[in-house]
Amino acid sequence: MSKTKLEEINRNIYDIKNKDEYDFKIKKGLTPEIIEEISMQKKDPDWMRKFRLKALETYNKLELPTWGPDISELDMNQIATYVRPKTTLSNSWEDVPEDIKNTFDKLGIPEAEKRSLSGVGAQYDSEVVYHSMREDLAKKGVIYTDMETAVRDYPELVKKHFMKCVPVNDHKFVALHGAVWSGGSFVYVPKGVKVDIPLQSYFRLNSPESGQFEHTLIIVDEGASLHFIEGCSAPKYNKINLHAGCVELYVKDNAYLRYSTIENWSKNMLNLNTKKAIVGKNAKMDWVSGSFGSKISMLYPMSILNGEGAKTEYTGISFAGAGQNLDNGFKVVHNNKNTSSVVNAKSISKNGGKCTYRSQVRINENAKGAKSSVSCESLMLDDISISDTIPVNDIRTDDVEFSHEAKIGKISDKTIFYLMSRGMSEEDAKAMIVRGFAYPISKELPVEYAVEMNNLINLELEGAIG
Amino acid sequence: MILNETPVRTAKNFNINNIKLDSFSMPQKIEPFSNVILSKNGKKVKIEEDTDSINLVYGLGKDFLCQVKENANQKLKITIDENKKEDLQIDFEFNNKNKMLVEDIQIIANKNSKLTVIIKYTSNEQIENYHNGIIRVNAKENARVNIIFVNFMNDISNNFIAIENELEQNAKINYCIVDFGGKNSITNYYSNLLKDNSENKINCIYLGKNNELFDLNYIAELRGKKTNVEIEVQGALTDNAKKHFKGTINFKKGAKKAKGNENENCMLLTDTAKSIALPMLLCSEEDVEGNHSSSAGKVSEKELFYIMSRGFTKKEAMKLMVRARFNKILECIENEELKNEILNKVDERLD
Repeated sequence: MSKTKLEEINRNIYDIKNKDEYDFKIKKGLTPEIIEEISMQKKDPDWMRKFRLKALETYNKLELPTWGPDISELDMNQIATYVRPKTTLSNSWEDVPEDIKNTFDKLGIPEAEKRSLSGVGAQYDSEVVYHSMREDLAKKGVIYTDMETAVRDYPELVKKHFMKCVPVNDHKFVALHGAVWSGGSFVYVPKGVKVDIPLQSYFRLNSPESGQFEHTLIIVDEGASLHFIEGCSAPKYNKINLHAGCVELYVKDNAYLRYSTIENWSKNMLNLNTKKAIVGKNAKMDWVSGSFGSKISMLYPMSILNGEGAKTEYTGISFAGAGQNLDNGFKVVHNNKNTSSVVNAKSISKNGGKCTYRSQVRINENAKGAKSSVSCESLMLDDISISDTIPVNDIRTDDVEFSHEAKIGKISDKTIFYLMSRGMSEEDAKAMIVRGFAYPISKELPVEYAVEMNNLINLELEGAIG
Repeated sequence: MILNETPVRTAKNFNINNIKLDSFSMPQKIEPFSNVILSKNGKKVKIEEDTDSINLVYGLGKDFLCQVKENANQKLKITIDENKKEDLQIDFEFNNKNKMLVEDIQIIANKNSKLTVIIKYTSNEQIENYHNGIIRVNAKENARVNIIFVNFMNDISNNFIAIENELEQNAKINYCIVDFGGKNSITNYYSNLLKDNSENKINCIYLGKNNELFDLNYIAELRGKKTNVEIEVQGALTDNAKKHFKGTINFKKGAKKAKGNENENCMLLTDTAKSIALPMLLCSEEDVEGNHSSSAGKVSEKELFYIMSRGFTKKEAMKLMVRARFNKILECIENEELKNEILNKVDERLD
């Protein structure tokens, strides 16, 4: 059988590099002066300037994690934390500068907006360059805007929620985020409003040796519902880039939020992102997550089930190839009666890639009648890759139903043989099995992403068989 | 004091990477311990007391290792010759004159040998006792070793034990661990399945009451081809008892066709009991099968109701449910007398 050699996934569209042109790029490093400068450039209100400086103090006090992937190569003195692109925020696609527009065009963003989205935000480096939303939603009182506009126009709403769900002392990179955050999206869905077509924000980091620190704050008020999609990518450079975004989600009583992410950062990216949701009475929070890119990823979305009867579901897949260390997972805290969580996590590792599923389920004393079911499966496609499962199950009351199961292994030779006896090539048989393995996740993704994920699996597998 | 580190760390705020014992301090002066009975095939015997020097891969921590190295008050070396079969029992009984036991047990099962050994620790008097022990087992080619480890220490004592096993070609080691207490009962268990076709089964039951704390750190590393590890842990916690279970199955590169299964289940009998589990699967080899499952919850209301409708009180029904759960594990004990003693202890602890 002929061997196919494809060392890296064909990232074609993701690797388009634009010239590193910017209106303003902060000097590298992290000092109070740099933070003051960012604050000034962003025309922050005084409370935000003080908040940033306080966060920097916290950052300096906190330790790097003593667990997980080695991130010692990250040198904050080599990272520019703020890069303002050569454009201003626009709500008309035509007004976005040509090279930036071309990038997003190739990523399919405006096309998706026309076909299947009710609003789009596009961030390029540290600033949002485009934001729009269907008029009928605006009339219903839905707010979808960039974070800077939200800080300016809805100060009370922002102050009440900004970094309250994810406090700055949560961990070192949250504190960093608090100090240098820029861009991101703000969504408010008023009581009872159902946003039936998704909103999407796309984050693109073009500038080398820089960081992206966007802040996403979503409030879905009582009885409202929303599907929000987040996409991320960057071209590959030889030096390290850093993504330390923060996502705060408030799902009020009886509300519903689905948060879908397709993360396809380049393989020089350290993705140290933090995502947390506070879920109210009888509300539901669903996470759908596909993690394909990054050199190192440490990402553990978290649901805090504070309201009685609150529910959450996490469906996620990680796909680690050569040189990648994807340490992903999920955390849930059951904080009230009859709360429930369902976790379905899958990972595939190949060509020396490492996937780790790391999680925590905590059922507190007051969570009588809580139910939690966790399932994780890992697939190894060769004998040079690594796959670890590190789940913590912390049960603090008796009236619970908790179960966790995990499996690890390779594609069964018998199954490959069966498919080959039906006339398939070994490559096609393996690709079909892997697609089948990923299907429970891909079926939860918006259709264009599911297609993209299947293409990624095909491309990746071409390099894996031989 | 911080001890019993997991082989791989996870987030610090999950509070599971190690165990911190605030109210415990290690005794500096070790008093003699002589209340030990050794019996071979039912008859009292003397066993060699010169063990080899100790080097542990994991263990509970440096201080505990040093104490055994320097101050062990019991050293036992058991060597089973090639093709021989032995049945042994070692009883350590704590009392007013034997309050501290620091022991080093070394077992070498040579080629084709068979050994069954019961190691039992009892403290019936309500006196605070201290136990720090190390058990090392080396199972050579084709050896079969069954170890029944029974901890009946009282709920004001401290029990620390580190176990290390090394398995050679086709060797099998089975453990049945009955862990019924101690104010702190801390176990570090490590198996190195070094050579092809070796097999290690661990069946464990624990039963915690009052404010007892269990910290069980089980680690199995599979290196040989077609090696097999099975870990089955069944536990029950009542009152304010707390348990940490950390189980790691680590498939090392080269362990082709290896299998590892781990199942942990915790019955919570009161709403103040706490169970934390960290069942880890680490894998650097493609051609393996690894599974783990973990569950926790209270006794099924329906099942309780069914038993109570047959005339049992709630407490009796509860005891029956716990005994039923433990029975499967206790099947691996052939000694009926010991099995009954364990079941009686279950009843006693749940009274």
